[in-house]
Amino acid sequence: MISKDDMEHLKGLARVEFDEKETEALAKDLNDILGYVDMLKGADISKVPEMTHAIEEKNIMRSDDADDALASSRDDVVKAFPESTNDYLKVKAIL
Amino acid sequence: MTILEFHEKLKSGKVSAREATNGYLEEIKTHNKRLGAYLEVHTDDAFSDAQRIDERVREGEAPGVLWGIPLAIKDNILIRGKRASAASRILENYVASYDATVIAKLKKSGAIFLGRTNMDEFAMGSSTENSAYFPARNPYHTDYVPGGSSGGSAVAVKAGLALAALGSDTGGSIRQPAAFCGVVGLKPTYGSVSRSGLIAMASSLDQVGVFAQTAEDAKILFEAICGHDPLDSTSVDYKLPTIKPVRTIGIPKEYFADGLDPRIKSVIEATIKKLGKNYDVVEIHLPHTKYAIACYYIIVFAEVSSNMARFDGIRYGVRTAGTDLYAAYRASRGSGIGKEVRRRIILGTYVLSHGYYDAYYAHAQKVRHCIAEDFKKAFSTVDVIVGPTTPTLPFKLGEKVEDPLAMYLSDMYTIPANLVGIPAVSLPAGTAHHDGVEFPVGIQLMAPHFREDRLFEVGKAIEQELL
Repeated sequence: MISKDDMEHLKGLARVEFDEKETEALAKDLNDILGYVDMLKGADISKVPEMTHAIEEKNIMRSDDADDALASSRDDVVKAFPESTNDYLKVKAIL
Repeated sequence: MTILEFHEKLKSGKVSAREATNGYLEEIKTHNKRLGAYLEVHTDDAFSDAQRIDERVREGEAPGVLWGIPLAIKDNILIRGKRASAASRILENYVASYDATVIAKLKKSGAIFLGRTNMDEFAMGSSTENSAYFPARNPYHTDYVPGGSSGGSAVAVKAGLALAALGSDTGGSIRQPAAFCGVVGLKPTYGSVSRSGLIAMASSLDQVGVFAQTAEDAKILFEAICGHDPLDSTSVDYKLPTIKPVRTIGIPKEYFADGLDPRIKSVIEATIKKLGKNYDVVEIHLPHTKYAIACYYIIVFAEVSSNMARFDGIRYGVRTAGTDLYAAYRASRGSGIGKEVRRRIILGTYVLSHGYYDAYYAHAQKVRHCIAEDFKKAFSTVDVIVGPTTPTLPFKLGEKVEDPLAMYLSDMYTIPANLVGIPAVSLPAGTAHHDGVEFPVGIQLMAPHFREDRLFEVGKAIEQELL
């Protein structure tokens, strides 16, 4: 069961906002959905590995060289900044 | 008109690319408001690209098979210089700074992009009702959903608003709307099509795929977009293998149990009977089927919560003001991201948090292995697995959107292919009567990894049988 404190903690971790009514409805949804997925406990997975990828993959490496072909245009990226000054991205104080 | 039919007409000068593009643009102007398929139409670019194709044909260049083909592109696939919002408010003003690899490939092939299609926000949903803008509607009856999350693309192809379309499929988001709208929908093998430029939802499950009017069209488009990409390290070298004819079809007992609408069941069974003329049909077992939905959703919640972290209004997209940085994050994500997406982010945060990772995510990945083993075993005795695409016929708008769990259950037959990474296609198999409408019924075919050739072969056989 997810408590109100749990919900506040999760909202903080995920950096998302919900109003009071939404939070209540969400807590109920969460409990319903988590109740449903609990049925996985019935599966016998005692000697089974985790399947993290759909196909056999090895770690892909490339040499540490700049490749302009792979880069987005700097102008396009800067144009997308919601707030900027002289091509610098402007944000609220970090420290 | 199919891809090959258009190609012949273009080669022989019977139709120009501009005529075809204009034809579709006119249809979109007439019908899009009613159907909600497109979020934005790229009228000027489509027309000038079509013009360039016609010039090249006039200059004597031999047209490639996709020259001038008007396509609809799902709103989560990036086209450089165009908006891509994944049907979300937080990306309402986002202009893509690069082409998705599939787009770059299609540009080279000479295809035309008519516009970006409607979808469930960030690909989360099975009805396109979660679009932050407006829902898409089923062309068979506009009170009904077209399915999702790639609803707009499915509607565009069915309603003649595009010749074919791109979508994405994480748990059925191409195949289910294909079934609901009566078109062909292909989810390729995981890794066969680059995900670079696809806005990620669940990275171990997502694939870009294709909507088309026929299996042959789906094959042509698939061949144009598949292949290894250095920008996507989960993509692999792909070669369509030399074709050995399909012999045996497997019918999973678990896919015909409770929960399957009897009207769908009878259409599927009738189609399987027809297939029995050309293939051996045997019953198979996929014993871990009942765990698929729970397994899938835990993995999806976890991967979604991670992938959605980048949408914070900081570097791009819509930023909402806050008193400090922390408040700004919460405000941007709270107001710019819709309810279903936020719901999944919170669930994912929960299942990945300290103390719960082993109980949920690690556990689900183990069950995933068991499901994969079921399919491995099945494919040692059969070449293709056949069953229904969806357990129900299209439902009405508003019917399931308030009940997330009920919505999740509509993916029960499509989810396993994503979990295992195998290719799967939905094809129209007939119709079923409901509420005064003959709704389409989709039949789903699944094949082992990289065996799309078997899907196209049996798909064409079904199309022949239904002629």
